[in-house]
Amino acid sequence: MQGTPAGGTRPGPSPMDRQTLLVFSLILAAALGQMNFTGNAAVSLSLVNKVDFWRGPARPSLPVDMRVPFSELKYIKAYLESHGLAYSIMIKDIQVLLDEEREAMAKSRRLERSTSSFSYSSYHTLEEIYSWIDNFVTEHSDIVSKIQIGNSFENRSILVLKFSTGGSQHPAIWIDTGIHSREWITHATGIWTANKIVSDYGKDRVLTDILKAMDIFIELVTNPDGFAFTHSMNRLWRKNKSIRPGIFCIGVDLNRNWKSGFGGNGSNSNPCSETYHGPSPQSEPEVAAIVNFITAHGNFKALISIHSYSQMLMYPYGRSLEPVSNQRELYDLAKDAVEALYKVHGIEYFFGSISTTLYVASGITVDWAYDSGIKYAFSFELRDTGRYGFLLPATQIIPTAQETWMALRTIMEHTLNHPY
Amino acid sequence: FSPFPLSSPLPRPLSQPPALSAFILHNSSLQHHSPHSNSASVFQINPKEGCKVDVVFSTERYKPESLLQEGEGRLGKCSARVVFKNQKPRPAINVTCTRLIEKKKRQQEDYLLYKQMKQLKNPLEIVSIPDNHGHIDPYLRPIWDLAFLGSSYVMWEMTTQVSHYYLAQLTSVRQWKTNDDTIDFDYTVLLHELSTQEIIPCHIHLVWYPGKPLKVKYHCQELQTPEEASGTEEGSAVPTELSNF
Repeated sequence: MQGTPAGGTRPGPSPMDRQTLLVFSLILAAALGQMNFTGNAAVSLSLVNKVDFWRGPARPSLPVDMRVPFSELKYIKAYLESHGLAYSIMIKDIQVLLDEEREAMAKSRRLERSTSSFSYSSYHTLEEIYSWIDNFVTEHSDIVSKIQIGNSFENRSILVLKFSTGGSQHPAIWIDTGIHSREWITHATGIWTANKIVSDYGKDRVLTDILKAMDIFIELVTNPDGFAFTHSMNRLWRKNKSIRPGIFCIGVDLNRNWKSGFGGNGSNSNPCSETYHGPSPQSEPEVAAIVNFITAHGNFKALISIHSYSQMLMYPYGRSLEPVSNQRELYDLAKDAVEALYKVHGIEYFFGSISTTLYVASGITVDWAYDSGIKYAFSFELRDTGRYGFLLPATQIIPTAQETWMALRTIMEHTLNHPY
Repeated sequence: FSPFPLSSPLPRPLSQPPALSAFILHNSSLQHHSPHSNSASVFQINPKEGCKVDVVFSTERYKPESLLQEGEGRLGKCSARVVFKNQKPRPAINVTCTRLIEKKKRQQEDYLLYKQMKQLKNPLEIVSIPDNHGHIDPYLRPIWDLAFLGSSYVMWEMTTQVSHYYLAQLTSVRQWKTNDDTIDFDYTVLLHELSTQEIIPCHIHLVWYPGKPLKVKYHCQELQTPEEASGTEEGSAVPTELSNF
């Protein structure tokens, strides 16, 4: 397929009807060099009116390139054939190229040099998010830094944003989004939340108090390989992309790979299953990276893992119906958080423990966090309740992020006021 | 209906209230033969013992929120009793609704949908509905509505106390010319099952004429776990006029 043609007029990337546009190259054979162009001019005027020359007639034996609208195709072909003019088709459908080019241009426009033109109400690719992270950190380097905590199976960087006003090893809050790659609303919410934090710091008393005493860590793309896959091949991919010899199916459910009730009910030992727990706890690099980071840090007080969809706010355990020791406190906190969320846009959330609210699930993030001593461990299931499900329209990104923020803020405030 | 969020816990295994209301709506949409009586927005649940569940919900029209007039959203208030027998799918559902828009208006709207479908240009160049960003082109909306209706029948056939389905995406559509003016089309949907998180591709063939019973044929790809019913077994309910081969 030809790239940009040389010379002649060139159609710009303007909206065109979906017509197949062919580019013909006419090779004027030596024999046809005898053709009288002037003589043909009269005849070929009708041709000239119909086509767009990209390389106009210059001399006999030189090729002529022209763009032919689909509606004229039959006529042109018939004309050329009846005059014994050989032709070949260089580009079968220009529209395809134009679309691709437009896409590429739009793409390069999106990889901006600042966050002020980044659209918080659109879904983004991995490249766009990582580019935004770099800009974001640069613009808010007083309180934000970027940490690479590991690499994914396909060797992509695993990045965490740290929000800190200084001090060493402040008690910390962990937030992760995108552990299941198809849950696009979670990454979008995480990005908006990061921006909200820097915007409101110094203005919102509660947030400012939180950041004075604590650090916040946000991992936006917890499953980068899966996320890239949802853009390239399969929008509904959930797991990571790990491959093991002799195993036919790809990927482990990262929210079943944690060392807490690993392999129990609500996870699956079938590698082809969407809830495949993997060969062993923390076998997946994406999970191991977080475990190592949080364990080495040693001072995390709250962990919030964000999913979609179902509109729920939940606390451990997922692996069994057994209540956690501070169940009453978590129940009350969840209730407050959900009420704060409701006040924003009237969206209702269910709340309770994971096993009684959603389903039994083993080897999950928040169970591990709780068992590791993090008392305030919560799991969100964001909008909606199934009408769009994973394919939540982009118009709902900001409303979702706004209401979720109020719930997050409630949890973080409680964590601040109940040190342990 | 309480304006405040409900705290969970529901007796096992009916711990998925949103899914349950969704599938009841799927069924209620069938009972009224109208794709417009759809989409639960609010509900309360009073679970009875064992496998009976009472659901209260309201219906709203299948119109993008931005186009709804003030107060137009809610069509009516409905209550339903769902009875699962012996862990089998196809539960019996009894739905009553009050304050629905009058039958004549509903019929008019169904006929409007029918005309929109008939006016679609074939072959339809569909990739996905919604697209990957959740957007549905207004021109394609009637296709989605009808596909949702057909899918809800399929989902009802497969729903059990533990298996709850949603329509994730429509991935291909093909409309056939008919001699008798019916709407006839084949489509592929991806269903999302909540407890296993599986995505199940189903091929559905649907024939519809406003006011007439829907005819649905379908085939879904084999599920991962063997305990899921496949629709070829006997269900809990008395068969309806909906056919499946």
